[in-house]
Amino acid sequence: MDPAGVFATRYERDQALVRTRKQLVSLAVFVVLLVALPWLVGPRMVAAATVMLITAVVVVGLQINTGHAGQVNLGQAAFMGVGAYTAAVLAIKLGLPFWLSIPLGGVSAAAFGFIFGLSAVRIKGFYLALTTIAAQFLFHFMVLNLPSSWLGGSNGLSVPPAEFFGHRMVDGPSLYWMCLAFALVMVYGAYGITRSRHGRAFVAVRDDDVASGMMGINVVRTKAIAFLVGAFYAGIGGALWAYYVRFVAVDQFTLLNSIWFIAMIIVGGMGSVTGALIGVFVIKLVQESITSLGPTLVEQLPFLGGDIVFATMNVFLGGIIAAFLLFEPRGLMHRWNILKRSYRLWPFPY
Amino acid sequence: MIDFLNYVINGALIGLLYSLVGMGFVVIYRASKVFNFAQGELVVFGGFLVWWLVMHVGMPLAIGIPLAFVGAALFGLLIERVFFSRLVGESVFAMVMVTIGLLILIRGLILLIFGPQVRPFPIVFPLQPFIVGDILIPRSLLYGGILTIVTGLGLSWFFNRTRPGLKMTAVAEDHQVALSLGISVRASIAFAWMLGAVLSTLGAVIYLSGKSLNFLASDIGLIALPVVLLAGLESIGGLLIAGIIVGIIQGLAVAYLDPWVGGAVGSVLPFVIMLAILFIRPTGMFGWRTIERV
Repeated sequence: MDPAGVFATRYERDQALVRTRKQLVSLAVFVVLLVALPWLVGPRMVAAATVMLITAVVVVGLQINTGHAGQVNLGQAAFMGVGAYTAAVLAIKLGLPFWLSIPLGGVSAAAFGFIFGLSAVRIKGFYLALTTIAAQFLFHFMVLNLPSSWLGGSNGLSVPPAEFFGHRMVDGPSLYWMCLAFALVMVYGAYGITRSRHGRAFVAVRDDDVASGMMGINVVRTKAIAFLVGAFYAGIGGALWAYYVRFVAVDQFTLLNSIWFIAMIIVGGMGSVTGALIGVFVIKLVQESITSLGPTLVEQLPFLGGDIVFATMNVFLGGIIAAFLLFEPRGLMHRWNILKRSYRLWPFPY
Repeated sequence: MIDFLNYVINGALIGLLYSLVGMGFVVIYRASKVFNFAQGELVVFGGFLVWWLVMHVGMPLAIGIPLAFVGAALFGLLIERVFFSRLVGESVFAMVMVTIGLLILIRGLILLIFGPQVRPFPIVFPLQPFIVGDILIPRSLLYGGILTIVTGLGLSWFFNRTRPGLKMTAVAEDHQVALSLGISVRASIAFAWMLGAVLSTLGAVIYLSGKSLNFLASDIGLIALPVVLLAGLESIGGLLIAGIIVGIIQGLAVAYLDPWVGGAVGSVLPFVIMLAILFIRPTGMFGWRTIERV
């Protein structure tokens, strides 16, 4: 809900993303802070932020696919991998610049995802989720079994650094800015998609596909488009990843990664782009802190053993998914909205 | 020709092993309508229970394995108590998502409790193969296959003929309807998870006998999915046939296709089969025709 005194008199106002002057100011400050981040914090934080941005692109795509359109997708990491490999191969073989190979990575991932979205013609619900698991395994098989001169097989591929007007992007800040630019565009696009005709069709299909079919929505096409969009985002994220790590290998894109992505949208809140961003931030923050705290912890308590970090992370993540589904299925975003609402209404209860 | 026969028989027996793992899956689906993605983790957990009781504590097999079954059943009950009893009446979507959470949680717990090291699994069945003419059959698979068939037929009878079994089937059809008919959805789900965990442990015993065990063995849970789908999610008897079919195809493919494409056909083929089933006949061979087409 809006603060007192703010009400929409036209449809465009009602659909606007930024509704008050204060929101505009805080958004501008936030973006400026994001841009200025490399000057404000150390290189380690910048690296973490870059990974967050890349993950955010992937997870926002998953949010559209799973949160809005309701199609469970356990293959987002595979779609990401397709994008990463496409961008890597285009950069190595054809020497394409990054601003061409990254969108093309997205396009090829979208094509790959679309194939699996097409299975919606025949099946729905969790059967659809199974086809996406198959996507994961097919991706691994393809990369490992195609001639290694094509995709590098199990050795992976080394990616040349991105170049921007002669500047080789190898340092943290410039990679960060590249990812930030793409992430801003993609996230803005996601807000656009969710407010558009397609976005409304997604939500309708998620809530009831029979009813939405009755209302004239082409259900099969909508589901396939949801996969197309979700996979496109994954592909862009994967291509960014390829340029960021400058090395792609299959084991960067596993089923477990896909499950992490799902965890992020559950924690953040299903069906909200902002929620996806919050989920990415929270989970990545926790991951980062566990990985950086882990070694010290093992030093202090040597009987724990070095692999404790991975294990704790799993226990924590599994617990968090289950806890959110049990106690707050609508995620952190819902909590935030409740908080905001009560703040605006205070001192009245409603 | 002898080679061919060898591949077929061994493939069929491995397929029966998939059926057994898939049985845990189907039992949970059949009694709670929950698609359990954590099936492989249950198998690994059962395996580690057996390892811990037999190799670590040092119990004889005859006591250790039944105790592991009891432990697995308690674990299943715990899962139901902690997670699913709170979710009765919630959407199936939430329940399935919880199983994804469980997948990660159990994996982490296994790593925390038992560690990431590769452990030797006790030799439950004698290692020397069973030899008929020129055909070599590993004993663990042979006995496992027989056990699978017996269990499968027994469970099939239980779910299709007995009153408690049919009650659970009603739960799988629709939670609300089952509740309004006086069937306890909670009890059904609890039983399903206990049975599923026990079956997974049995699968672990057969699969891992004499091999090494670590948390990566959970992959079998995913490989069993195509078998489950081919049988059609609800059919336990059909699982046996589906398992044999998938196993034979996989065995032959590994033998005759691998040299052509450079290996690993065996690991991806089940999923190709799965995709084919999903596209051609999503209800599988014996499933209920309730999958709504869009």
